[in-house]
Order: sequence, then C-alpha cells, then structure tokens
Amino acid sequence: MIARLRTEHAPTLLVATLAAAFGVALLQVTGYLGSAMRADDVTGSSATAALMLAIVAWVFIVIAVYVSGVVTANTVATVVAGRTRQIALLRLLGSTARAQRGAIAREGLAVGAVGAALGLVVGTLVAIGLAEWAAVADVLPRVDHVWADPAVLPPVIVAVLTTWLAAWAGSRRVLAVRPSEALGNAAARSQEELTARRGRTATAATLAAFGTLLLLIGVALGLVTPLGVLVGLVGGVLSFTGIVLGAHAVMPPILRVVGRALGTSPPARLAAENAVRHPERSSRMTIGLVIGVTLVTMFAVAMESYRDLLLAATEDRPDLRVGIEQTVSATVAVFGILIGFSGLIAAVGLVNTLSLSVLQRTRELGLLRALGFERRQLRAMVLAESAALTAAATVTGIVLGTFYGWAGAQAMLGSVQGIPLVVAPSIPWGVIAVLVVAAGVLTLIASLAPSRRATTVSPVAALAIE
Amino acid sequence: MEIQPSDLGLVARVAGLGKRYGTGAGAVAALENVSLGLRRGEFTAIMGPSGSGKSTLMHIMAGLDSPTAGRVWLGDTDITHLPDGALTVLRRRRVGFVFQAFNLVPTLDVLGNVMLPFELDGRRPSGEERAVVDALVERLGLGERLRHRPHELSGGQQQRVAIARALATRPDLVFADEPTGNLDSRTGREVLAILADASRAHGQSIAMVTHDPIAASHADRIVFLADGRIVRDTQRTSAEEIATYMLSMERAA
Repeated sequence: MIARLRTEHAPTLLVATLAAAFGVALLQVTGYLGSAMRADDVTGSSATAALMLAIVAWVFIVIAVYVSGVVTANTVATVVAGRTRQIALLRLLGSTARAQRGAIAREGLAVGAVGAALGLVVGTLVAIGLAEWAAVADVLPRVDHVWADPAVLPPVIVAVLTTWLAAWAGSRRVLAVRPSEALGNAAARSQEELTARRGRTATAATLAAFGTLLLLIGVALGLVTPLGVLVGLVGGVLSFTGIVLGAHAVMPPILRVVGRALGTSPPARLAAENAVRHPERSSRMTIGLVIGVTLVTMFAVAMESYRDLLLAATEDRPDLRVGIEQTVSATVAVFGILIGFSGLIAAVGLVNTLSLSVLQRTRELGLLRALGFERRQLRAMVLAESAALTAAATVTGIVLGTFYGWAGAQAMLGSVQGIPLVVAPSIPWGVIAVLVVAAGVLTLIASLAPSRRATTVSPVAALAIE
Repeated sequence: MEIQPSDLGLVARVAGLGKRYGTGAGAVAALENVSLGLRRGEFTAIMGPSGSGKSTLMHIMAGLDSPTAGRVWLGDTDITHLPDGALTVLRRRRVGFVFQAFNLVPTLDVLGNVMLPFELDGRRPSGEERAVVDALVERLGLGERLRHRPHELSGGQQQRVAIARALATRPDLVFADEPTGNLDSRTGREVLAILADASRAHGQSIAMVTHDPIAASHADRIVFLADGRIVRDTQRTSAEEIATYMLSMERAA
C-alpha cells in the first residue's frame, strides 16, 4: 500500500518540486541581480529596474504554477480513476465520499509540502550555481548577497497551496463513485455524470465564444491604442479557459484525425481507438501539454512578430538594427527559456498520466495477450497511443499559440506607428522545430514505462478475478 | 510413427502434467501427473473445489502458462516448449476464451469486441467467416446492440458478447473459466444453453472450468480434480449427483 502510494505520488511530487524550484530560482536570481545593481554606481538608485524584474519574474512564476496546477489536477484525476474499485469498497464499508476526497486532498497537501521544500533547496542551489558561473565567466562582478531571503518563500507557499487545491479539484470524481462499483464489473457512467458533462461542455462553449469575441474586439481596438492588448488579454484568458474546460469535446476529433494517420495495422487501429473512445481520459492526458505548447508558441510568435516589425521599421537605419537585433534576440532567448520551463512541467504531466493510465489497464493488456496479441504488437500499440496523444497536443498547441501570439502582437503593436497597421504573424520556425523534436522525444519517454509493463504482463492477469 | 492426438479424436491433450510453484522444501504442487484428452466436439466440464488445480490446468492447456513436467498438445501441435510468440499466434487462431469477469475491451463496441480476434490477427474476416459471425450475433440476440459499449449492457448480454467473440473464429477449442460465476441463475442457465448448443449443434469443442454442479450438469463429460489430480471422469449426469460427489470429496478432504 505504502509502496503503491509512493509510485502514484511520485509524478505529483516531481511537478511540485519543479514549480517551486523554478519560482525560487527565478526570485533568487532577480534578488541577486538586485544586489548587483545596488552595488553598481549607475543603476544603484533604480528601484524601477528591480520592480520590472520582479514583475517579469512573477508573470512566469504564475504561468508555471498554473500549468503545474492543471497537470497535478489531471494526474490526481488519473490516480482516482485507477482507484475507483478501492474507493467504492471503502464507501461500501461505510466511509463517506467527503472523507475519501479529503484523504486524497490531504495526500496532495503532504506531497506538495515535501515537493515545495525540495524545490526551495534545488532552486536556491541552482541560483547559487548561476551566480558562481556568472562571476567566474566574468558576466557579473561577484557581489555580497544573502541567499536566505524570506522574499523567495512565496513561490514555495504557492506551490504547496496549488498542489493541495489541484488534488482537491482532481479528486472530484470521488464523489461520483458508487459503493456498488465495488461489486459489479462495468464502471457504468451514471446519468448525473453525463448531465454534468453536458453542462460543462455548454459552459466551455460559452466561455470560448465570449472570450474569442473579446479577443477580436481587443485586436480591433489595438489598431488605435496599445491598450487593446488588455481587452485582448481578458478575452484570451477566457477563451483559453473555455478550451481547457471543454477539452473532452475538443480533443477527440483531433485525436481521430491523428489516429487515422497512424496506419491500419492492428496495434495502430487499437491505439487510435483507445485514444478516442475515452474522451475524459485522453483530454486529461493531453490538455497540460496543449497549454504548455500554446504558451511557448504564443510567446515565440509574439516576439518574432515584434522583432520583424522593429526590423522593418529600422530598415534604413543599419546602425540601429544591429543593436535591436541583439537586444531582441537576447530577450527572446530569456523569455523562451522561462516559458519553456512551463512546457517542461506540462511534458512531465503527459509522461505521468500516460504511464499511469496504461499501468492501470493491466487487465486489458492481459486480455489482449490472452486473445493473441504479441508482446511486440502490444509495445507498438502503446507507442502509437503515446504518439497520437503527443502529436495531437503539439499540433493543437502550435495552432492555438500562433493565433494567440498573433492576436497579442496585433493588439499591442497595431497602433505603434500612429496609423492602424496590420501585423503579419511571423512564424518562428526554429521554435516550432524544437517543439516537434521535443514531442518526438516525449513520445518515446512517455511510452517507456507502459511498454515495459506491456511486455511483462501475463495473459493470466486477464483471467484473475480482482 | 507416433500416434497423434487427432488420431484419437482428441482436440487437446496433456500427458503426465505437473506444475510446481516455488522450489525446494517450500514448493507447492498445483498439478501432479495429470493426463487428460479432450474429445473433439465435446463439451467438457472440469470441476473441483477451490485450489484443486483446475484453473492451472486450464491455463496450461490454453497456452497461457507452462508446466514444470509432462507434455501438452493443442490439436496435433506440441505446445509444451513453444516460445511465447508462437504460443500467442496459436491462441489467436485456435483458442477462444470466455471469462468469469466477461473481459470485454471497454473502449470497443459490441461488434468491435466480437471482431477483435480478426483485428488482432491483422486481417478482415472472409465472406464465409463474416457469415458465421452474423449468424452467431443473430443466434445470441445481439443484433440490436452492435453499436453499444460494454458498460451499456447487462451482465448476461456482456457474457453473450464474450461468447460470440470466443466462437467467432471457430477455434479448435473454447476455454470457459467460471462463465456463469458473475451471473444470476436464470441468465447463467441461458449462457450454459448457448455453450451446450454451440457444442451439440455446431460441433464446437468446449472446456469449462467451474465449481457449480448446475453448470457442470450441462456438459457432456465431467472431469473432477482434487489436490492437483484427476479423481473422477464421468459422462453427463445430473446436478444432484455432481453435488453429492462434490460433498463427499469435501468430507474426505
């Protein structure tokens, strides 16, 4: 039991550690930069620069924490789905649904606390390492800095609370587990759940439609004032929340198309079916990655459009261009790394949920083995399923990110030259190439643990009675 | 020339079969020196109390597990030392399974589950095979439900789907492991009648593992196992007689 809990919570622990470490490292680095600036005569008095740094740092921390929250909620939901029988049994023996859910949330709190504490240590060590490197490489002068700074604690606390909250949100299905499921075989979906799903789809569609409308208004406003970006931002957040909420309706059609591309061999066909037939499961697995890829692409497209616009505006001033090119490239690189971290957390989430959900299907894998699926075919099926999910998430993220990135650039930059200007979206092919390669690697990593299970599962497992 | 199992009218055969778990002093023998031939076209019940070795015997005969002693044939193929890949293909083409827990693939609808053996074999059924499947689906009353998913069906309907899947490829042998264990008695009787009909009217060889005397009374032949040995082998008989014998076995133990 303890061992099982440990493996089940390892993914959540990793995500909490990553999010907290990212926040701590970022704040430590900006704190160190603040110390460096104070030591420097020129910028010494500039409180504005320090404030700007803090704001930028927090924007990325909030994004990373948000992604980690979504990932954790989905991981917990996957864990709960795998524990349905056990929860039903405890319910049957007289435990309340609230108590069951509370237990899962408490597990989340404990895992979040441990992860965040680890993150505090790791993040601080990374920041110290960076400072050492900067001093040795002569990028920054060595300055006195107190690393034990209470100012870096907020991301730690936020990581704990997010994990707790995400565990609570992800364990919603516990309430729908009926005690009788401990006896029966088929986990039939109850009528209430279907109704709830319909309500969720309606909310999601409304949010997406309203958000897109606001976003377009923001884009139109952006033609006359840069403040249009604020309206667009609200619209973007709303419409994207709608998409995330309605993932169970958005992802299956995309998965269906991707699944067809897998081919017609039996493993590929079964993999495609698996990815499509359980919308909740596949949206749980993919949505974190969709968010991550969307964010990365959005930032990249917006920055690329900004850069192209600047370069076009300074076409006749080659002396300025070199400076702008350098500054913008450096900014793109830094932002790319910062936002890429959220992408990494999302990737960890996909690996976790896919592994967990395949591991939970031991019986199904055993059945396929008993009915005559070879080990090789089972491995191919797992790999194809992993590929379908990753590809669908990556493509969706790139399309959404390109749209949001363009909308952001248009709303912010449409009025900078005094006359309304249509900003063409610039596609950062380098970033897209990196995303596609990363998706390929992710597919392989995500299918490692499950395909090992697939080769060791005994066909007798399918005949055993739980 | 060696006598082949088929020369004796057998569809499956084990000789001197032994299965031990563990080694040394702690070893447990699940089967000891079991020899048995299943006749083609016959509906055989393998009976015995829990722990008698009946499930182990079935797993070995179906190529799901390997023995520690003796030999196993399926048809004329000696499967005792067959590597996993060959065993897998053999199961796919020549064996059908019906489980106590139905074991349908939850993501596939009824038709998808019935066609799964063809799918796993990477081929489309021939016209003749398709006709067999259609007739089977009709006979089992699944015609109206081809597009339903397993969770939308009752237990009895799910087990019919599992039976249709097991019979679809007209395998040499269908193994049924407590097929009525999860069903109420009326539905259980229907399922047993379907199995008996498949054997009598369509010549399907079936081996059913059960500890239910009523289920066993539907079979043509009943083999009793106790402590890993065959203790009795009879032709079709009444549930009362089977129950009495089971009780006497319990008392003797």
